[in-house]
Amino acid sequence: MYEAEDQTQLAAPPHVQRRVLRVLGTSITLLPPVRDQARADLGFDIVFEEMDFLDCQRQAAMRPDGYDVYEQCFHNLDIVWFWGALQPIDIARIAEWDNISDLVKLGGVSKYAGRGLGDAPVKKLYIQPGGFLGSKPSRHISMLPTVHNMDSFGFDARVFGTGTDPRPSWAWLLDRRAKGRIALVDEPAIGFFDAALAAEASGELEFADIGNMTIDEINALMKLLERKRVEGYFCGTWRGGEEAASLAEAGSVAVQSMWSPVYGKLRAARPHFIEAAPTEGYRAWHGGASLSRHLRGAVLDMAYEYLNWWLSGFAGAVMARQGYYISNPARARDHLCPEEWAYWYEGAAAARDLAGPTGETTVKAGERRAGGAYTDRARKIVIWNTVMDEYNYAARAWDRFVRRVQDGGEA
Amino acid sequence: MIRSANPLAQEPRYELIARVLRENIAAGILPEGFVLLEGPIATVMQTSRVPVQAALRQLLEERLISRFDGRGYLVGRVTAGTVPIRRDIRELDLLIPPMVDDALQTRGTWRHVYDEVEEEVASCQIFGEFRIVETELAEHLGVSRTVVRDVLARLQERGLIRKSAASHWIAGPLTARTVSDKFELRGIVEPAALRLAAPHIRYAEVEDLLERIETDPAITPQEMADALMEHCIAQAPNTALVEMIRSNRLLLSAVDRALIRLGLPPDEDTIEQYQTLLDLISRHPIDSACEYLRDHLSITARRYLARMKIVAVIPEAGAFAPYLSPQ
Repeated sequence: MYEAEDQTQLAAPPHVQRRVLRVLGTSITLLPPVRDQARADLGFDIVFEEMDFLDCQRQAAMRPDGYDVYEQCFHNLDIVWFWGALQPIDIARIAEWDNISDLVKLGGVSKYAGRGLGDAPVKKLYIQPGGFLGSKPSRHISMLPTVHNMDSFGFDARVFGTGTDPRPSWAWLLDRRAKGRIALVDEPAIGFFDAALAAEASGELEFADIGNMTIDEINALMKLLERKRVEGYFCGTWRGGEEAASLAEAGSVAVQSMWSPVYGKLRAARPHFIEAAPTEGYRAWHGGASLSRHLRGAVLDMAYEYLNWWLSGFAGAVMARQGYYISNPARARDHLCPEEWAYWYEGAAAARDLAGPTGETTVKAGERRAGGAYTDRARKIVIWNTVMDEYNYAARAWDRFVRRVQDGGEA
Repeated sequence: MIRSANPLAQEPRYELIARVLRENIAAGILPEGFVLLEGPIATVMQTSRVPVQAALRQLLEERLISRFDGRGYLVGRVTAGTVPIRRDIRELDLLIPPMVDDALQTRGTWRHVYDEVEEEVASCQIFGEFRIVETELAEHLGVSRTVVRDVLARLQERGLIRKSAASHWIAGPLTARTVSDKFELRGIVEPAALRLAAPHIRYAEVEDLLERIETDPAITPQEMADALMEHCIAQAPNTALVEMIRSNRLLLSAVDRALIRLGLPPDEDTIEQYQTLLDLISRHPIDSACEYLRDHLSITARRYLARMKIVAVIPEAGAFAPYLSPQ
């Protein structure tokens, strides 16, 4: 406030408020090195709000005014999109659009690669008439595809052995040898499928379509998990990478759901806790960035700048160093040294020690990534993280199971 | 329990509440622009919010009140110059006829409480499976167990609850499968009923509604669905068919209302579809409207299933009545 007659005040330099872009997301992409570089390159401030998967999607759906950009996975678009929390992204404003890979645009890395069941990102990518999401190309998309990976589980080689015989199987998540030392990721669109793959691989159950299970199939799976729980198979569940690392470090688990960056965090457990390349194939996921419905004008322009920045190479390189792939790898390659590219994307042995996203060594010279090269891994996707038709039912049943695992109760 | 001699005690509570509000609007005690909120009205009427919601919906249909850009409803029509009057309704000294007041306090018959229980029992099913304990329901409603048994029998008859092997009353869960089945049935019977209804449709009401879509931006998809049912489909001379359609839609529309109460945005895209449909009904051979209705229902089904998934992120705490025990 100033007095109208106090003309001298007008000579003072105007107070310029620094522009801010607010990003809501998970630990997958909200990494400090990404934020710092984006701030430097884009010239506006960027604020990260990080939450676990479930809190994040609830927040995104119910409070779209609280963020500008939402970084999450394609599978949860079924929730956030249909809540009306997001606005379409115009691909004409995405410089790298043509270089985004076929894995997301077509559903597989090549014409002959397996598509995987469940919510393949292509099924949620394009906006269709009537506000639906689908695979038929259109000018507007729901989420800009960025980071992705093929997940599996980690196992203690002292329990299951090394080498390729027997080859790692999802069945190990329900294996007698690991009884009492098994943990699952607590997310009903993720850990639920680790359990479902284990149930099929072990021959206990068979689902007509594991990517869209019926109520009876969900009940059968929950009954199997409950039986195993009562027999004492599970030692816990986790929601974030830090918790997963602690379980492995403490020796509490012999096998558990795993995310790639967690391997880089292991110290004592590192020699024996190994990433599986399951015989049955991978459970994949695809992340991306969406625009909040409230964005207009200058802030919308900033959000587009940030989205384009994401695909300009630097972020893709940071993601690679924690074991995640980017939707336009060629640009990330410009920001990776040849040894990094060879290890993370080509499946070659590490020519030297490699650093993770924050600088500490996460890969030792001579190590080789389980499952090999990007395309080999991407060809073996059997299921995507999925929000099935019966998700509301499955998520509530899963939640009850998780609470019982944590409480160790009998009911 | 002594049955009341008051004839109004047989009426659903929402009817009584609607009657009180209507009379107070007519008398000018509730002035134009007054903001009506569920909670305070429920306090004045000494009821739960459910019958108040139903009463307000009825007044909205009668166009005595309107929606506006804020919480609650406004008395009268919203115009550019309308200034919302925000005052506590409890200070207004509402006119409540003694007969109505007495009837609102009388909890003798099942009809009196049925509608609110039906709404609660239907909408809880999105959260899973629930057991209803007779004694707890009786206590909650302040009625005898005899009345509760009448209520439960009616709920069972309408397919909203069932008896488990252990003889417990069970509601839900509402699954995607149930929703798909119900919409499949709708796709078969509703176009058929519309065809039968053609000579009996209230065309003047349809025209009126078409005009309202053009002029009233506050019109909701739910009002349109109800109007389509009442003025068109329900005019089919086959009463058994109409009854079947009504009971098949019961759960779907109760859940839809529950979703909106929980904060989901109303399904606005469908208004355009209703407009097309009503236009076909009023100006073209009925066959084209029947075909369009079939398509519209299949799109609505997809949208409904998508909205159901969202419910998974809504916490259960406090979302359902205390007499419903999660199983």
